[in-house]
Amino acid sequence: MAKYSASLDEVFAALADPTRREVVGRLGRAPASVGELARSASMTLPSFMKHVHTLERCGLIRTAKSGRVRTCTLNRKRLGVVDGWLAEQRAVWEGRTDRLAAFVTDDQEPT
Amino acid sequence: MLDLDPDLDLQIDRVIRAPRARVWKAWTDPLDLARWWLPAPMHCRVEKLDVVSGGAFVTSMSEDGHDFGPHLDACFVVVDPRERIVFTNALDSRWRPTNPAPVAMTAEITFADHPEGTDYRAVVRHADARSRAQHEQLGFADGWGTVTAQLAAVAEADDREDHG
Repeated sequence: MAKYSASLDEVFAALADPTRREVVGRLGRAPASVGELARSASMTLPSFMKHVHTLERCGLIRTAKSGRVRTCTLNRKRLGVVDGWLAEQRAVWEGRTDRLAAFVTDDQEPT
Repeated sequence: MLDLDPDLDLQIDRVIRAPRARVWKAWTDPLDLARWWLPAPMHCRVEKLDVVSGGAFVTSMSEDGHDFGPHLDACFVVVDPRERIVFTNALDSRWRPTNPAPVAMTAEITFADHPEGTDYRAVVRHADARSRAQHEQLGFADGWGTVTAQLAAVAEADDREDHG
């Protein structure tokens, strides 16, 4: 269970970055090569590869090399983990926990 | 603890920097609960909060603070004072089986002592909503745009917690 929770955190962390969200949005339309994605992100290949690795590690995308071209594909099933009713419920419960924590700590006497 | 299904269930762990008795009271005192149960600017009214096994848990909500509509009609399954609260919306407060939207759930909240306050855990188990999830994936393009902001907010909240 702890393993699953950690991996879900990785997905959320990966999607907190605008460049990576852009990549996921782009791959939602069609697979693309790393080179194409880096160019549309206006980044050099080495710095862009860090984003690719982050997305691949958390399972949001898969990559495959054919000759000199590495192609990225969106793993929709993985994205479904966060883009569905369960993500909504998670957001609801995260919000509740945030508000509860704020409520009980705000009215503590300063120590 | 029973096994969790990663497709259906969620777990939240948090260290809350307040004594366990304080966190327990915030959950079980109707006036306290109303203060944090719903996000602002929504107003929350706690209609019934009978914190015993089988007891009623009913809250209503309002945008203007005058006209209140239903929010939650549920019942407690297990209550271990100052340690654990389990409630479900699959039975309403009169124990009539329900079909709540978006999906039926059982929430298990546990409270434990922690050197810095309270070790707080929420485990929420959901009914099988796979057909609903599949339906949502068909509408993938629309769903993605609407959920992004929410995702970012949650992820950033996690991040603040990590560094806080």
